[in-house]
Amino acid sequence: MIFAKPLLDRCISCGYCLPACPTYAMTGEEASSPRGRISLMRALETGELPEDDGTLAEQASFCLGCRACEPVCPAGVEYGNLLEQWRDHQWRGGRRPLRARLLMAAVARPWLLRLPGLVRRHARTAASAGGPSLMLGCAERALFPRVSRAVRTLVPGLTVPPRQGCCGALHAHNGDSAAGERMAKEFGEALPGTIVTTSGGCAAHLAAHLGRPRVREASEFFVEADVLPLGTLSVDGRPARVALQDSCHLRNGLGVWRQPRELIRAVAEYVELPSAAACCGAAGTYSILRPRDSARILAAKIDEIEAAGVDYVVAVNPGCLRQLRAGLRKRRSRVEAVHLAELLVIASKQVRPDRQTDLSESGS
Amino acid sequence: MGLDRDFAAALAEVVGPDHVRQSPGDLAVYARDATPLFHHPPDAVVFPATTDQVARVLQLATAYRVPVVPRGSGSNLCAATVPLRGGIILALTRMTQILEVSSEELLARVQPGVTTARLADAAAARNLLYAPDPGSRTTATVGGNIATCAGGLRGLKYGVTRNYVLGLEAVLPTGEVVRTGGRLWKDVAGYDLTRLLTGSEGTLAVITEATVALLPAPAESNTGVAYFESLADASRAVGAIISSGIVPATLEFLDRKCVAVVEEYAGLGLRLDAGALLLFGEDGPLEVVAGNMVRMRKICAESGALEVTVAADVARAEALLTARRCSLPALSRLGSLTILEDVTVPRPRMPEMVGRIDEIAERFDLQIATFGHAGDGNLHPTCVLDPDDEAAVERAHKAFAEVFRTAIRLDGTITGEHGVGAAKLPFLAERLGPAQLGLLRRIKSAFDPAGVLNPGKLGS
Ligand SMILES: Cc1cc2nc3c(=O)[nH]c(=O)nc-3n(C[C@H](O)[C@H](O)[C@H](O)COP(=O)(O)OP(=O)(O)OC[C@H]3O[C@@H](n4cnc5c(N)ncnc54)[C@H](O)[C@@H]3O)c2cc1C
Ligand code: SF4
Ligand code: SF4
Repeated sequence: MIFAKPLLDRCISCGYCLPACPTYAMTGEEASSPRGRISLMRALETGELPEDDGTLAEQASFCLGCRACEPVCPAGVEYGNLLEQWRDHQWRGGRRPLRARLLMAAVARPWLLRLPGLVRRHARTAASAGGPSLMLGCAERALFPRVSRAVRTLVPGLTVPPRQGCCGALHAHNGDSAAGERMAKEFGEALPGTIVTTSGGCAAHLAAHLGRPRVREASEFFVEADVLPLGTLSVDGRPARVALQDSCHLRNGLGVWRQPRELIRAVAEYVELPSAAACCGAAGTYSILRPRDSARILAAKIDEIEAAGVDYVVAVNPGCLRQLRAGLRKRRSRVEAVHLAELLVIASKQVRPDRQTDLSESGS
Repeated sequence: MGLDRDFAAALAEVVGPDHVRQSPGDLAVYARDATPLFHHPPDAVVFPATTDQVARVLQLATAYRVPVVPRGSGSNLCAATVPLRGGIILALTRMTQILEVSSEELLARVQPGVTTARLADAAAARNLLYAPDPGSRTTATVGGNIATCAGGLRGLKYGVTRNYVLGLEAVLPTGEVVRTGGRLWKDVAGYDLTRLLTGSEGTLAVITEATVALLPAPAESNTGVAYFESLADASRAVGAIISSGIVPATLEFLDRKCVAVVEEYAGLGLRLDAGALLLFGEDGPLEVVAGNMVRMRKICAESGALEVTVAADVARAEALLTARRCSLPALSRLGSLTILEDVTVPRPRMPEMVGRIDEIAERFDLQIATFGHAGDGNLHPTCVLDPDDEAAVERAHKAFAEVFRTAIRLDGTITGEHGVGAAKLPFLAERLGPAQLGLLRRIKSAFDPAGVLNPGKLGS
């Protein structure tokens, strides 16, 4: 038994999910659609296909895991869960891509995660006040330390426990759900009470293992904590034009998409990207494991951002932020990619148009 | 089985090696469509990009006597794209260009792999309407719609796909390319092959381009909901609405079970205690819509509706229709094997048909929910069961055989919009009679002398 039977049985092959899937849009081939992948999983389960079938291997890694197929499925198929189970089987031991293995090994070591704190100024507090605590994120604290600082600027009372590891989302999405679950539970013990996260992917993973009520993704938290109003962000004497790139797991997994828009609208002129809800190609480790496919998806996204004539594009997930920055930089675009928390801080300090903020000296 | 080596090599030469798939995994995913219980893998899947490639593939297939099953999105519900005898699946998902949308001529020209929703959106962008509106519009292709003569939610007022196909480019199994009809509203030169190909289920030719008629987009539209004690009550309201002289744009019903699952998926705040729900809608000029909505509302109330409401805005009206479109997949929440059927009876006989379906369900001890296009008498009785309960599956087959026969007896038909496919071929003779069936077969062999196009379906 590779898959939980009720999960596989749920799909009735209606094909409603096809138009939502970015990889199906690329190829037009059934195997790279959600319905096709579920057929592959069934064939694996029944033994109709051997474990080492090439299509199985290819599709398990070609899928972005963006879960865009979930909200459009009227039958309620939990594709994200199926994919985790599939990769658990497909990517056992040596069959897991090497780069994923290295990353997983790194983030599973809390002492290693604390190293960036020595050189990079992520948020920190001395004593725990017992209230909601801020998650630093394994990658984010190293790549984008100013994001956690921005959150603390907006909500000064927030605790930042110094001893926190990785939530295990990376493991769950790369074929080790058992470790993913264990790490999430340990994380929950290290940060008792409400956990505030600046990463849509971590939020969805933690919610799955600690229960939805314990997890607050930053945009939800800001709306509830009422950190507005902050003042209007202006560029060249007019309100800034700002677009959003949804985090797939936040939107498709937790159904959070209104809040970040609401917050942006409160401080700037919001511009909806036609494909805001579609994956940017970062997809956790995807941009590292399948750089070519990832770049193809990103290119279309950057075209859209440039065509929208915006000043900022906002991300609510470190992977997406990294992806968008890389894409924009490559094009020498004048559009700036920022995390939602950073945007709100910039707006509240109203430091445009020279873009010199106390947040800009670090980070990538 | 596998393909002849020379044949496979020749295919690869025509479409390029990347566009011929033969690995077991790729074949496994093309073994089924949206129809439950039918399953057979092809020997190869071929993805042509041009009409010329389609022609060369068909020529080869005829020469090598290999079955070819054309396929759009595989969303059909009658096993029409299950390659029962193996051979190749000819997937048209790479031919996705909208070639033309003309406001002046009121038409669009598209390749077969364009989805219905994309065509409708392209028309809407010019303030035009592509009227056919199958529930599967976001997924299904125009080629598949034409090949099945798809109906949909606007059938009563606007008709079905065949009313909108002006011309086709199609490739015969011999590789000859024909252009039937064209861009004209009036053209009676020759047999009406456009209509013959519309609904031919991929058994006569492969459609490679279609010219379809558009209409000016209606200025306004609205939708309302009426709840009734029973489906029979709702059917009577339908009769009363139509006898009053209104031809509504939407007239759809759902029974209690369907309402429950649709509500679970869409969360619209629908009432769960009623026996049936009727969606009624109108489009056109503002005054017409407003007037007809008031009249329909009144008729529903007079026919004994428990409650009638009209959507407050366009978003709400659209949400109601979207919810209705997803009834089938939403029903699978009740059990993982969902067999949906598709019978049509003359409208006045609908209450009787609905009653008979209920009676059959009870007699065979099955859970059958019913929804459908009330305006045109098209019903979708849907049986939900556990796939591992073989006895129940067996009973479902018997029950549906009775449902089909009952429909025929009530002057109805075995399929109103989904097609015959492999699933209903055994019942076709009862509907058509021997003389017509014979003619069908002779037509089939005129188009496809080698019998390579979608064998085991219409014309077999
Ligand atoms: C949830 C759901 C709701 C639905 N609602 C409706 C509805 O309201 N009304 C309705 O009528 N149907 C409905 N359907 C059925 C289905 O969507 C239609 O039959 C649709 O027209 C099939 O289109 P497709 O592109 O998926 O074609 P496929 O399923 O791929 O093929 C259908 C048939 O067309 C043939 N074919 C496909 N493309 C071509 C081509 N280019 N040339 C020649 N032959 C071709 C195939 O060989 C096959 O016989 C629904 C299905 C689902 C799953
Ligand atoms: S929409 Fe859901 S039920 Fe339908 S094919 Fe996709 S996953 Fe399966
Ligand atoms: S998770 Fe995303 S890429 Fe994978 S099947 Fe679903 S929609 Fe497609």
